[in-house]
Amino acid sequence: MEDTTYLRGVGMTRFGRHAGVLAPELAQQAIFAALADARLEPKDVQAVYCANVFGGMILGQLVVRDLGLAGIPVYNVENACASGATAVHLARHALQARVYDNVLVVGVEQLTQLGGGTIPLQRNDDKTDLYASAGMVLPAVYAMRATRFLHEGRGTREDLAAVAVKNRRHGALNEHAQQRSEVTLDEVLGSRPVADPLTLLQCCPSQVDGAAALVLGRKPGGQRPVKVLASVVQSGVLEAGDDDILDAEITARAARLAYEQAGVGPADVGVVELHDAFTIAELLYYEALGLAGKGEAAALLRSGQTRIGGRVPVNPSGGLLAKGHPLGATGVAQMVEVAWQLQGRAGARQAGAPRIGLTQCTGGGIAGVDHAASSVHLLGV
Amino acid sequence: MRSIAPDSRPANHQERHVNPSSSLWTGESPPRLRASRHVRSGTLRFPPFRPESPLAAEHEPVNLAATGRLYSLTTIHPNPKSGQAAFVLGYVDLPGPVRIFGRVRGEGIRVGSPCQVVPDPQFGYVFQVLPS
Repeated sequence: MEDTTYLRGVGMTRFGRHAGVLAPELAQQAIFAALADARLEPKDVQAVYCANVFGGMILGQLVVRDLGLAGIPVYNVENACASGATAVHLARHALQARVYDNVLVVGVEQLTQLGGGTIPLQRNDDKTDLYASAGMVLPAVYAMRATRFLHEGRGTREDLAAVAVKNRRHGALNEHAQQRSEVTLDEVLGSRPVADPLTLLQCCPSQVDGAAALVLGRKPGGQRPVKVLASVVQSGVLEAGDDDILDAEITARAARLAYEQAGVGPADVGVVELHDAFTIAELLYYEALGLAGKGEAAALLRSGQTRIGGRVPVNPSGGLLAKGHPLGATGVAQMVEVAWQLQGRAGARQAGAPRIGLTQCTGGGIAGVDHAASSVHLLGV
Repeated sequence: MRSIAPDSRPANHQERHVNPSSSLWTGESPPRLRASRHVRSGTLRFPPFRPESPLAAEHEPVNLAATGRLYSLTTIHPNPKSGQAAFVLGYVDLPGPVRIFGRVRGEGIRVGSPCQVVPDPQFGYVFQVLPS
């Protein structure tokens, strides 16, 4: 098919503290890894898409200034935690329009430079500013979902904690993950309370740096070709006054569109990297992505089917909880991991022999919507 | 490992006057929260649109009910290093329907608790849990 987009090469840095490394240097590490994987040179790409949230203006141009790219277009993309996936989405548009043959997508973030703590909300809005003044932060938003989840009897505190246990077990197998140690259910439940019912080990670590890169092209190349089967970005819809905060509406909508675009269903998906910024998120997204029916997320987790070795491993990389969540890099890194899984290159954490993988990231805490942005991609071999 | 800890910066909307208290409350006694209602759809919007908003013309001012029920909540535990005490945040559903977010005070706070919206000098308003 002429309009197929291929992941020609993928690469990423370890996620964690990269003290003393500048953002362009970090991004270049991922870029050179992706180019080497694609067996291409910098001169072979015709445009660069740089995803970042807090690194300041024109970061992409800083990243590539010394790469000898001869003044090609550089696009800086920001969409909160969905920035990286949004950059891939836009790059694919250009490839499908045959504007370019090969492009580079890089996501990079250095959250250690923010000094820790929760990500500040975008307050250039009367409603969000009012709510942020009262204390609205993303951990609170997810914690209120978790409270409601428990209240409705859809799972237990142990189910929430078991998400962290699973993903930390996966992360222990991933040399790119920030958290390389396993944790027990008791350790998760006994860690410091942050936003009830969420404890510290149920929140993705905030002090993390990282970069990830993809070379996308109109023709296959490099390693075993991975195709983009679907690419969807959606924005938040103003919620009704009696909204169900457990329906993850924006992600459910993005997933439905992605399945339609690819002509596949949830049962066809063999590996998933999803946005487990907090434990409750993974359970809600099981249902939003159609991996579990409504009210059946906890049962799916307990069944073991979402562990490595299960029917549909979720977050074999360790996810945001273990691998880390450098915002702009996250969506790109999810696709790096799924590409490795589809190509059978994931080493100790290889999750069987999946043919189709799904990535999902969502983000942006603004008052009145589920989330500002959500992106779902389906990749296949 | 550092946590994603609650925002420890002081509330700053008072300084910025994005939502001055006079725009949130009616002057009557007892005061009621103001909101905007879309003239055609009837959809309620809180806080009310500021006069600077071009959308204000499509909305009419209405007053919200003073009591509702807590839809969900969380107790925030600030990083111990901050020295800040824990506090409760929640969504309250008011007739309309309209759901608003804020600080929750009182005893026996749980999902479904009846709450009254009361003025607060720091946050503009807070939810006071009523005896059920």
